Amino acid sequence: MIQLFNVGKSYGGVAPALIDITFSVKKGEFIFLTGPSGAGKTTLLKILYRTEKYDQGQVLVHGMNIGKIPDRKLYTLRREIGFVFQDYKLLAKKNVFENVAFAQEVIGANKKRIRFKTWEALKNVGLTHKKDSYPQQLSGGEQQRVAIARALVNSPKIILADEPTGNLDPEISIEILKLFEHAKKAGVTVVFATHDQDMIRSRNHRVVVIKRGQLVNP
Amino acid sequence: MTTSAHNTYSNIKSNLQVFLVSVATITVAFSILGLFLVIFVNLNSFLTTWSEKVQLVVYLEDEITDGQKQSLEQLISANSDVESMTFISKDAAWANFKNTFSSTKSDFIDDLKYNPLPSSYNLKFKPSSDRFVRIREFADLFKRRQGVESVEYGETWLGAFEKFMLFIRIFLLAVGGLLGLGLILIISNTIKLSFYARQEEIELMLLIGATPNFVRVPFMIEGMFQGLLGGIFALALIKSLQLYIKVQFQGSLQSIARGMEFQFISQPLILGLLASALFIGWVGSFIAIQKFLSSGNTK
Ligand SMILES: Nc1ncnc2c1ncn2[C@@H]1O[C@H](COP(=O)(O)OP(=O)(O)O)[C@@H](O)[C@H]1O
Ligand SMILES: [Mg+2]
Repeated sequence: MIQLFNVGKSYGGVAPALIDITFSVKKGEFIFLTGPSGAGKTTLLKILYRTEKYDQGQVLVHGMNIGKIPDRKLYTLRREIGFVFQDYKLLAKKNVFENVAFAQEVIGANKKRIRFKTWEALKNVGLTHKKDSYPQQLSGGEQQRVAIARALVNSPKIILADEPTGNLDPEISIEILKLFEHAKKAGVTVVFATHDQDMIRSRNHRVVVIKRGQLVNP
Repeated sequence: MTTSAHNTYSNIKSNLQVFLVSVATITVAFSILGLFLVIFVNLNSFLTTWSEKVQLVVYLEDEITDGQKQSLEQLISANSDVESMTFISKDAAWANFKNTFSSTKSDFIDDLKYNPLPSSYNLKFKPSSDRFVRIREFADLFKRRQGVESVEYGETWLGAFEKFMLFIRIFLLAVGGLLGLGLILIISNTIKLSFYARQEEIELMLLIGATPNFVRVPFMIEGMFQGLLGGIFALALIKSLQLYIKVQFQGSLQSIARGMEFQFISQPLILGLLASALFIGWVGSFIAIQKFLSSGNTK
């Protein structure tokens, strides 16, 4: 459950990045977050992940007021959420398996569990055959799959995905979308940011639209 | 714990040169400090051996009564620091004196019609580190007693000795403190470099749910490991130097003072040195990481 109440955020520029945003996402729901480039989608996701602070309003994630979490406790929030970054953020020096396993390592899982969970996550995104490859040896779609596997490997309750299909061909985009829908079926709450209107129309998920930092009716 | 150790290992490996330079610097700094300590320890034991001969002599007035004498003897036997007491009567003192100067026999001594020397108690003290302070306190007690003419315990010499050792102590502390401060800066710098070499990875760690401690611990271990290695190398260096000096100069040392030996720093000092090396490594890396964590957590 994600709840935003009158959230406002300014980077100090002429216009605020977000103005008076109020909406909520139910547990296990899949929503598209859309709007033109520069509308504030990334900013909104960053606020939910607390990599960006907000100036006004309140944000509750699982009832937890995330503005009140001290920096040293941020990991508790981050462990609830799998984040798929727009730029993947894969480590070039680690291979596919190690990149996914990394998310398990940093939360202190034991070796046996790391191997099992990583294998399972790679299987879910269909990349077990590439486990020894390095990121630069992969296509954009494959890199995105690795990033998704890493976001899912710790079994988060929420997935935030920032334009995960932004740079991908339509067919591959649908394959990627299906991975998130698969996670939704397993009970994960998904917020999927995209400006791909064809993709949005092809599905029945709820759509949240922002323009110039404000919610608008779809 | 095993992942921390593994992370420390890969931190060091990815930045081996910086690590080695840092360890070498720590080794040099601790060698300097250790060398001063060895000199101090030996100077201290040398001077202590010499000062073993320090005695407290209580000179008595000629008119002293038996009662006053008795009360003085009681005072002496009540002090557990006193190892032995010898009473030297006027006559014995005079005989002694004449004996000592018999070779330079002067008419002046023979011409004296009376014995000018006082009788005295000669006190030897048990060895202890604060012996001088106790001798002084005890001497002050006698000064005020009736029947005592004067006391003597080489106070000027003792005072100079004490002041000198105090000076050396302060000097060592200052040098140690400055070196420690310098080392903290060096270590924190090394850790910072080690950090920057893996910045992308560390930022990602924090981003995907690592606790600050998970990030911190491998670097703390690295810092402490650096300190410890430097400390151990420095001790090995000083030890070999000490062995060399011992082999080369033991003979001439023995001729200065019998039973003297060129010593290495004591076990507690060794442990103290290693502990401070660890501590310095801990502080150095803590400072480096704290800066990073407080600036980089939300980005
Ligand atoms: N770090 C930043 N500093 C200053 N302005 C920013 C920053 N990030 C985003 N913005 C501005 O905030 C607005 C929303 O950006 P963003 O959230 O990235 O939009 P979207 O993801 O929908 O394209 C834009 O006008 C953008 O220029
Ligand atoms: Mg964006």
